[in-house]
Amino acid sequence: MAANTDRRRINAPSGGTSAPVFAKPVKEPGYLQLLRPNRNRGPNELRKTFLQTGVVPSASGSAYLEVPTTTTTSHSSLIPPTSSLKIAASIQGPKPLPRSAPFSPTLVLTTTVKFAPFATRHRRGYIRDSAERDLGVHLETALRGVIIGERWPKSGLEVVITILEGDEDTWWGDSKAEGGSGSGWGLLNVLAGCITVASAAIMDAGIDCVDMVAGGVAAMTRDGQKILDPCPAEHQDIVAACAVGFLASRDEITELWLKGEVGAEPDELIESATHAAMGSVSVLREVLLENIETKTKVASEGSKRRLEDLEVRD
Amino acid sequence: MAATTAAAHQQPVHGPALTFPRPIFAAVAPHPFLQAHLSASQPSKAPLRANSRTAHEFRRVGINTGSLTHCNGSAVVRLGNTSAVCGVRAEILHEEHVQGTADFAPSTGNEAEEDLEREREREEIESLRVLVPNVELSTGSTPQHIPGNAPSSFAQTLITRVRSLLLSTSLVRLSDLRILYTPPSNPDDPDAEPEPQLKGYWVLYIDIFYISIDGNAFDAAWIAILAALKNSVIPHAFWDEDLETILCSDDPSEAHPLTLRGLPVPSTFAVFEGKRDWNESGEDEEADWVLSDPDAFEESVCRESVCVVVDCTGGNKGTKDGILKRLEKSGGGVVDRDVMKGLVKRAVDRWQEVETATNAKP
Repeated sequence: MAANTDRRRINAPSGGTSAPVFAKPVKEPGYLQLLRPNRNRGPNELRKTFLQTGVVPSASGSAYLEVPTTTTTSHSSLIPPTSSLKIAASIQGPKPLPRSAPFSPTLVLTTTVKFAPFATRHRRGYIRDSAERDLGVHLETALRGVIIGERWPKSGLEVVITILEGDEDTWWGDSKAEGGSGSGWGLLNVLAGCITVASAAIMDAGIDCVDMVAGGVAAMTRDGQKILDPCPAEHQDIVAACAVGFLASRDEITELWLKGEVGAEPDELIESATHAAMGSVSVLREVLLENIETKTKVASEGSKRRLEDLEVRD
Repeated sequence: MAATTAAAHQQPVHGPALTFPRPIFAAVAPHPFLQAHLSASQPSKAPLRANSRTAHEFRRVGINTGSLTHCNGSAVVRLGNTSAVCGVRAEILHEEHVQGTADFAPSTGNEAEEDLEREREREEIESLRVLVPNVELSTGSTPQHIPGNAPSSFAQTLITRVRSLLLSTSLVRLSDLRILYTPPSNPDDPDAEPEPQLKGYWVLYIDIFYISIDGNAFDAAWIAILAALKNSVIPHAFWDEDLETILCSDDPSEAHPLTLRGLPVPSTFAVFEGKRDWNESGEDEEADWVLSDPDAFEESVCRESVCVVVDCTGGNKGTKDGILKRLEKSGGGVVDRDVMKGLVKRAVDRWQEVETATNAKP
């Protein structure tokens, strides 16, 4: 393990550790299938989303997104059935670029996506891996299309995304049987969440945008059915999935990530993904309204306080 | 709360006094800003800091446990604007992968040997490295920690302090982490009682992610660790003879919580050295303030800091006789023995608050 040579962190035992193996699924073949989670929503029904802005007061903008799992956690097993989605975003800037940086007529956007070590069923490392870098690039593409960069020449903007808990690629019981995680459906869900939460944070930071970008995911099953907002652990037969960054009022797409065998009609799947994004848009709108309300309230209270503060001491 | 004006120490101006709004005053002249706050109040009231707390006032602790799915135990802790997420994850270190000698001596249970036992256990935990704490600050939590860089010296100092406190307080018992196996019969002597064999250890990965930092990162990290460890459930692990490996039971009723040794609670103080020659009236007696639980702004203007770790769980008379677990002090010479006594008292009061918060069920 590369982490063993990291002198700046506390290292694990050099012999390496392994995740616990639970006895019952190994010993009793039927037991494993009992744990399989099932989708108990309709194909067009989205999961509930919790979104809040202003979680990091020292940052210029920040937001936190949570999509709780819909499967009820069973009390008879310690193995969690499905994962939920918990993402925090923080915006630093816009601030002047360092003197050494070359001239840029537009805003320089830097996006960093990092999974916490405890975010997924398999422990993640401390140094960003290729999947995280990939997500960062996708997110940057989605955001670059909405931010009006010309208004901040010679400035930089840091978008930092921390995934405290991420969706899984498949159900854990299946991935064991196949011997790999493979598909990467979970990453699409994570990307859509990242787009929505970053959009809320940018809105909180008050950075000029042409519209609010919202993320949405749709998947296609083997029989051609489209499902909105799939939780990959709940489905066995996903053949293709698609995540979009969607601008609702302009009807534009800034980011499109399509995976799998989509067949002859990819448009339908993309269309479904934009429908899923509409759900995020309505959440974003509510949060934006709330955000403006609290900001105006704070501003009026602040001016009141300033008047009280102005007794001059001589 | 008064006198947010810089006019007092600028040259006298004619006409209206030169005033700044609060944030600008704080940014331009942080030291006089805090000084003005602490010294400006009426004598009847205790002086208030810029964050409208009194000098002795800590921030309220908010704890939420068990919110992360893939952790054996987790906690989210808020101290004002500082918030940290701590996840405890247990993985198995197999006996054949243990580096060095792993001689396992069952506990004698003797009262007199307990201290010795504890010391031996502490060394074993340290050499086995079964507790792996780490912090992550580069989450956009402060403008100073931008991702893409190696852990800063601040992060390294923080985690070293956390680890050394984890080890020196012997918070986690090694007996909770050992995975033992008692064979059905003794291989050497069929008549004798079979002896338990050591098959492995649970390794606890304790990861702290800061969502937001507004001063006093250490207290937040430690309280998050305490709450997450208290919340942790370790599955029952056993040696399977057929598969020759360690398996776990997923039955929650067979799993055991960690039994922690006491509840050491840190309290961090920052010493604000007022400018003595600034007050023309010559009030010198209240020149320095020891501020409890400093926020980021106060940390930036204070050089001297003290961290007192106390544990009052062993005391018979409530919080009155606490045990001092650790004392860290750096940066100046304002805190002398008398002031330190007062700080320990303040830390004991704080222990009570934190104890109530960690025991409260969500």
